[in-house]
Amino acid sequence: MAYLSLQNLVKKFQARGGSGEVLAVDNVSLDIEQGEFVTLLGPSGCGKTTTLRLIAGFEFPTSGHIILDGKDVAPLPPDKRQMSMVFQSYAIFPHLSVFENIAYGLKIKKMSKEDIRRRVAQVLELTELTGLENRAPNQLSGGQQQRVALARALVMEPKVLLLDEPLSNLDAKLREQMRVELRRIQSQLGITSVYVTHDQVEAMALSDKIVVMNEGRIEQVGRPWEVYRHPANEFVANFIGRANFVDGEVVRVEGDRLVVRALGGVMDIPQPDAPRRPGEPVRLVVRPEAIRLDAGAEGFPAIVRRSTYLGELIEYDLEVGGQLLIATESDVVRAEVYPEGKAISISFHKNAVYCLPK
Amino acid sequence: MNAGRTNTLVRRLREYQQIARDPVMMTGLLASSAFVFFFVVWPLLRVAWDGFFDYQTGAFSLEYFGRYFDPYFARHSWTTLRDTMIMGLATAAGGTLLGFIIAFTFVRCNFPFKRVSHALSLVPTISPPFAIAIAVILLFGRSGLVTHKWLGIDFTYGMNDIYGLDGLVFVQIITFFPVAYLIIRAMLERLDPAMEEAAQSLGASKLHILRTVTLPLLLPGFAGAFLLLFVESLADLGNPLLLTGQRNVLSTEIYLAVNGEYNQQKAAALSLVLLVPTLTVFLVQRYWVNKRSYVSVTGKPTGGQLSIKEWYIRWPFTIITSLTLLLVIALYLSIAVGSFTKLWGIDFSFTLDNYLIAFHRGIEAILDTTFLSAVATPIAGVLGMVIAFLVVRKRFSGKEALDFVSNLGAAVPGTILGIGFIIAFIDAPWPAVMLVFLAFLLYLLNAVEASRKQKLIVSSIGIVAGLALAWTFAAWGAWYLAMIGLILALALALIAWMGAQPSHRRTLLWLMMIPVVGLILFIVGPYPTQWVAEWGRSLGGNWAKIVTSMSEWIDVFTQVPLPAHGFLLLAIGGYAMSRLKAGRWRLAFTMMLLGAATMLIFTGKPLALVGSSYIIIAAYSVRSLPASLRAGVASLQQIDPAIEEASTSLGADAQVTFRRVTLPLIAPAFLAGLIFAFARHMTSLSAIIFLTTPKWKILTVLILSEVEQGGLNIATAYSMIVILIVLAAIGLFYFFMGRAYKTDQVDITMGGG
Repeated sequence: MAYLSLQNLVKKFQARGGSGEVLAVDNVSLDIEQGEFVTLLGPSGCGKTTTLRLIAGFEFPTSGHIILDGKDVAPLPPDKRQMSMVFQSYAIFPHLSVFENIAYGLKIKKMSKEDIRRRVAQVLELTELTGLENRAPNQLSGGQQQRVALARALVMEPKVLLLDEPLSNLDAKLREQMRVELRRIQSQLGITSVYVTHDQVEAMALSDKIVVMNEGRIEQVGRPWEVYRHPANEFVANFIGRANFVDGEVVRVEGDRLVVRALGGVMDIPQPDAPRRPGEPVRLVVRPEAIRLDAGAEGFPAIVRRSTYLGELIEYDLEVGGQLLIATESDVVRAEVYPEGKAISISFHKNAVYCLPK
Repeated sequence: MNAGRTNTLVRRLREYQQIARDPVMMTGLLASSAFVFFFVVWPLLRVAWDGFFDYQTGAFSLEYFGRYFDPYFARHSWTTLRDTMIMGLATAAGGTLLGFIIAFTFVRCNFPFKRVSHALSLVPTISPPFAIAIAVILLFGRSGLVTHKWLGIDFTYGMNDIYGLDGLVFVQIITFFPVAYLIIRAMLERLDPAMEEAAQSLGASKLHILRTVTLPLLLPGFAGAFLLLFVESLADLGNPLLLTGQRNVLSTEIYLAVNGEYNQQKAAALSLVLLVPTLTVFLVQRYWVNKRSYVSVTGKPTGGQLSIKEWYIRWPFTIITSLTLLLVIALYLSIAVGSFTKLWGIDFSFTLDNYLIAFHRGIEAILDTTFLSAVATPIAGVLGMVIAFLVVRKRFSGKEALDFVSNLGAAVPGTILGIGFIIAFIDAPWPAVMLVFLAFLLYLLNAVEASRKQKLIVSSIGIVAGLALAWTFAAWGAWYLAMIGLILALALALIAWMGAQPSHRRTLLWLMMIPVVGLILFIVGPYPTQWVAEWGRSLGGNWAKIVTSMSEWIDVFTQVPLPAHGFLLLAIGGYAMSRLKAGRWRLAFTMMLLGAATMLIFTGKPLALVGSSYIIIAAYSVRSLPASLRAGVASLQQIDPAIEEASTSLGADAQVTFRRVTLPLIAPAFLAGLIFAFARHMTSLSAIIFLTTPKWKILTVLILSEVEQGGLNIATAYSMIVILIVLAAIGLFYFFMGRAYKTDQVDITMGGG
């Protein structure tokens, strides 16, 4: 059995200002292994934060179980669950120093002064905060506050570390830096972590496993490359990265590959897990980077409708077979930036076009 | 539909069960609800009720409402009502206008001495309610310094002197404009200057902007201030008593109905008449004006306040503000000077006699008032915080009602509350006691975790036994009942020790010691009191007064009526019970607990509180509760809930979180709230005037009687003493707290007079 297991979790809230109920978490089941870094990813209002708060114990589920290490913790209050949470707003105690903030939970455990000092020192070193013990929280920078919040949770050696969009208040550069650091600390300690974010890049960079959520339900669970390359549905495809959707029809099956008629031509794509037969309609996910803009005579004819120069990338809106596709090309590929109205010929990377499941 | 209703009911019940998971919170909810029920809801209900029943015979009677249509009384009745409304509207309009002018001058016109001016314009809020009336009489009265001595006016019969509606409105405007000033200033400061700059960039002139942008945006502030002032004016008792002259307003009519005619029905009926406009305004203010604020707090600091440079706007504002501040200074100076003057108007020579007389006659009142105010202060403060915590952080049905009722204590005129207290507590308020007892009982039975049949048996045996005990020993007196209660409480402590899960033993024993100690104090309390009183009497002179008066203070702490001990036992016992091993232990404990509590609660007439110190303390607390509640709500709303969640996620339970995180964070606001509650207690008159007794004398009431007997100079000495005690308290507060914390402005806009 998994280390942390959510079983058919449901959370209903009373609708604001009226009768009726809002289904915030809709029958969510999820297994998390020990030492795993799992990210709940989804747009705002998808139920990811509520799910995290259910795990933490700040909300009680309307129904369902939360099994931690073989025990159902769903009826327990947060302080009895041995999970620590890092908050989006950091929630550092403003009236306590850095040391006191980090030692807070240890003192409640009635740990000896000596042990507290030692453990705090360890975690300060781990989070590179050594020397700031006596600072007041308002004397810290945003990044330092972030580390204090993390240190305060880590020092408890929780069974599960919960993180609620902890990086969203940092500026872009710092966020990237903290992302790397967070992953380093997590893998160094091997601590089971549940992370909530709406930032797909963050989710990709950090996670062992991504859980994509929408409208209170889980849309897909998988490793980062799985959810990107093999999205379970249009929502996941659209939410993680960008996608063009192209409708087509299977012409024939050639071993583990399908030949599909689409966009007024034919293309050759990998056979999905559930095999398709000739004549069946399919929906294809075409990532913008899967389009090659320099095909010869056998390519698909396309007209550039708009081109946007972004620096590292150039983005084109292409009209292909009566449909608009977004394509990107790395800046270094070609000296020329195609002007609007230019007629070109395109092709698709063989293994990068993916057929959505039925 | 029906199923939907059942679901809602179940949900509501669940919410309470959620709170009941945290027994401390549940106890807080029960205790604070019981307090506001006893001391706000019940008295007001009794006032409304008693207006319809003859005081002597108890028969239903519409006599005093009928007077508005009876040709004999109609003229007087309607005139009084009309004058009351004129007073209210004129004061509200004038006070709001003045408040706006001063706020605008301070914020926009570069007025010098910002801090001093701000403090000065707030002085009227912390002085006794008729200090200004007295000062105005001293300066502009019939033998006033300005009117008589300097201008040489000899007031003959029929001349328009300071007495009458116009003088009264003048005094009320000076007394209440600070409320409007604070409200409008707060709005003005939060107004985003970008809006006015936008108007300017579109080519509008300053005057045009003022008219078309600034004033309309401030409209909710004006409405709020106007309504609040209207209520304050209607509720005011001190100033009308001194200044109405030939006219009469409702608050003085009510006062005279009680203290002159001893006619409770008339007082109650008139109170109801007065309650209608004040309650309406309170409701409008709460549910309409407050939700109509255009000013949004974005949290983004804006580019500072605009200042007005146009002379034709700036100078009129500055001049009116300066004159007002000068007037305030003059008024308070005249009180100070008056207190050192032999006979104002005739003989202005210096003397200390006024203070000597004041101390001789009033030392008990000075000590008692300060003592009772001080005792009521933490009660109001803690209640306010508990209710604020419940209202901000918890979800339960009736939350809105709790908030509303807690705010009501200061929203209704004090006179009405005072009458309600007399009517409600002249005898023990049994229906109210039973209702509250029932609420505690339900909580207890909810926690006992037994079958319905077991619950029924246990509670009926416990209650019947308790009633039997109370009935049997009632004749012996409270002292013996307390003895029996003590024995039972000790037995309960023993059961708790034996039946507790081992990890909870010590805590439970300590907790159960609280009611035990309370009862022991009740039993031994009279001995030291007696001893101190005897020793005091042997001292003779003023010291005898002081010491005997202080000996009664000991009683205040030890002789709390037994029913209060009973409810305390129930609350703590209920918590202890929820920590016992399930099954027999719980049932036995519950049965005994109910027996002991029932005996203590339903015994004799100790809840006939009229004449005791507790009713005064309760009145003070109820009057200042809204201010401390609002301070609590404001400070709690500023604390990110995540901070408390962080604490629980680090292993701290609700109590530890509250003690280590929430409390330190709200402490500054809490303490500032305390100091203003104390100031309000010291200066309140209308709610207290009917409750004072020869044993418990109140300074503000004494000032009034001095004025009525013509001892204006002694009244000024008393006023100075009140002002000095309040200032000393504020000074002490800032001395101790000012260093540790930087406190924000505390809302002191409610519940004066």
